[in-house]
Amino acid sequence: MATRRLGGLSYVLAWLALLVLTAASLGAAQLPLGALAPAVALGIASVKAAIVLLVFMHLLESSVPVRVVIATALVFIVLLALGVVADVVTR
Amino acid sequence: MSDRAHAAEPAHGEVAVAEHFEDLARQHHAVRLGMWVFLSSETLLFAALFALFAAYRAMYPAEFLAASHHNDVVIGTANTAILITSSFSVAWALHSVRHGARRVAGLSLGITVTLGAVFLCLKLVEYVDHFRHGIYPGAHYAFAELPSHGANMFFTLYYFLTGLHALHVIGGMTFLALLIRPVVRGKYGEANHVLVENGALYWHLVDLIWIFLWPLLYLVG
Repeated sequence: MATRRLGGLSYVLAWLALLVLTAASLGAAQLPLGALAPAVALGIASVKAAIVLLVFMHLLESSVPVRVVIATALVFIVLLALGVVADVVTR
Repeated sequence: MSDRAHAAEPAHGEVAVAEHFEDLARQHHAVRLGMWVFLSSETLLFAALFALFAAYRAMYPAEFLAASHHNDVVIGTANTAILITSSFSVAWALHSVRHGARRVAGLSLGITVTLGAVFLCLKLVEYVDHFRHGIYPGAHYAFAELPSHGANMFFTLYYFLTGLHALHVIGGMTFLALLIRPVVRGKYGEANHVLVENGALYWHLVDLIWIFLWPLLYLVG
């Protein structure tokens, strides 16, 4: 059941923030960050994802069961990533 | 035992509540939750492919770096901006439906579908350019400039990831396009918008996946 409702302005602000972060990601890719580059790129992508999830997909005003479903998916994605990376890195 | 009151025919314009739900609000809650469960399964599908990409990247770092330079950053970035804007337009469509602005909602859905089509056209331009250089997936790979197995794996994964993503774009576009007519006719409103919401959620997922695909495939270098 929805609690607070976001106004139309929050969609505009989210859209602008996403475009700014895209430009930032593009800019960061030009910098000589070496081994940090993928981490920075994925970090910015995660912030963009959070904005899409919280504002556009209304996670901020969603019920607890919906949040549990997403949290579960995220936990298993992290487990999958850790498992695969551990496999490859220890060969 | 159970209340048979809402087994009766709904009044014109009202939505019938299915028998196993107490009321419309709970039915919509279940529909919405079901959509999120489906979306989570989709993210796991792509997560498996992302994990595969990460594994091969760890095995062929130099080849992946070199191969990613042959992806057009301009087109990739334009597509990122296009999908982000389409997420905004579909969110605006849902917002308009909930406020009874039928025409604005229909227009916003139309813009979303159009942006999706532009995205697919740009991807086609990219694919054709890759084909012209002999960059085909898997065993058909014939890119003379980067003949290594690592580069082959990069492009095979590129086609797999972006191809599967493009299928999702087509699916989302189809669903949203089918919603335009009933939306403009006023079939959905504040009390009954969960189908439009689910279409929008699916579209946001398509945007989310691309948000992670773009840096991995275009910005690695």
